Amino acid sequence: MTAPFEVSEAVSLGLAVVFGLFFGLSLERGGLGNPHKLTGIFYLRDFTVPKVMFTAIVVACIGLYLLSDLHLLDMDRVWIIPTFFWPQLVGGTLFGVGYVISGYCPGTAVVGLASGRIDALVMIFGIGAGSLLFAILFPYLEEFYLSTDMGSPTLPELAGLNHWVIIVPLVAFAGVMFFVMEKYEKKDSAQ
Amino acid sequence: MRDKRFWSPYIAGAVLGATLLAAFYISGRGLGASGAITLVTAESTFTIVPEFIGRLKYFAKYITPIAPLINWNIFLLIGLFLGSLASALLTGNFKVLLDKGKTMGVYTRLLTSLTGGILIGFAARLARGCTSGVALTGGAQLALAGWIFVITMFAAGFIVAALLRRLWS
Repeated sequence: MTAPFEVSEAVSLGLAVVFGLFFGLSLERGGLGNPHKLTGIFYLRDFTVPKVMFTAIVVACIGLYLLSDLHLLDMDRVWIIPTFFWPQLVGGTLFGVGYVISGYCPGTAVVGLASGRIDALVMIFGIGAGSLLFAILFPYLEEFYLSTDMGSPTLPELAGLNHWVIIVPLVAFAGVMFFVMEKYEKKDSAQ
Repeated sequence: MRDKRFWSPYIAGAVLGATLLAAFYISGRGLGASGAITLVTAESTFTIVPEFIGRLKYFAKYITPIAPLINWNIFLLIGLFLGSLASALLTGNFKVLLDKGKTMGVYTRLLTSLTGGILIGFAARLARGCTSGVALTGGAQLALAGWIFVITMFAAGFIVAALLRRLWS
C-alpha cells in the first residue's frame, strides 16, 4: 500500500490533532507567537520568520519529492494547492500588508493567543470579520476570485524540468540566505 | 544573536517541516489555519442571523446541517492551540499581556490588531489560504500558488514596514 493512506474519519481527525500539536510546538518554540519576532524580518532586526519558514519548506519539499521518487508516496493523491494567478497575487499582497499591521498571520495569532496575548485574540476576531466581509462582498468579487484559474501547477511542471533542477537551487538559495542573515546578525549585535 | 527563550529557528523549522511532511505522507494534505477560522465564523454567525448568512453564496460550502465542526481543519486548529499552549506553559513563556510596538498606545494596538486581522481574513479568502495553507504547504510542494504568495507577501511587508517604521521598530 502506497501513501497517503485511506483511514476512517475518526483516525483522520485524530491525526489532524497530532499534526496540530507538533505544528503549535514548532511555532511556539521557534518564537513565532511573538509579534516582535514575527515582524522582525521586515525591519531587518530579527530573521526568525524566514529561517523557520525556509527550513520547513526545504525539509518538507526534499522529503515529499524523495518519497515520490522512491515510489513510497503517490503524489497524484496529495492535494496540491491550486493556482489562481491574479487573485493570489492580490491576496498575497494584501496579506503582507495585514501581517505587518497586525503583527501576526492566522496560525501564529493562534500561537500568540495560546501564549497569553490579548492582541492576538483581537486579531483572530478581525480574521473572522474579514472572512465575513469577503463573503458579503462575494457577489462583486466572484468574477475576479475565479479568474486566471491555472489548475494546480508546480514549478517543475511549468518549467518542464526535473524537480531536482528546481530543488537544488532552492536549497542553495536558502543556504546563502541563512549565511547572510547570520553574518548580518553577528555584525549587528557586535555594534 | 540567539534568543535563549526559544529553540534555534533551524530546529523549529525542521520540526515544522517534518510535521508538514508527515501530513503529506499520511493524510495527503498540508497544514492550514485560516480556513478553520472562516468555518467557525460562518457557523457562529449563521446561528445568530441564519437568514442573512444563509443567503451568502460564499459561505454555502461552510454551512452544513450535520456536525459542521467535525472537520479536519478544525481539529488541526485545536491541536495547534493545545500544542502551543502546552509549549508556552511548560517553558514558562505563557504571560497574559497586550503585546505592542514600543511607541504604540493601547488603543492603537487594538486598532492595528483588528484592522490587520480584517485585511488578513479578507486576503486569505481571496488567496485560498494563508501563510500555512498556501505559503508553507504550497511552497514545499513547489506549487506556483505557494511561491506567488511567498513573494508578494514578503514584498508587500517590506514596503509597508518602510512606510510605517514606527509600528514595530
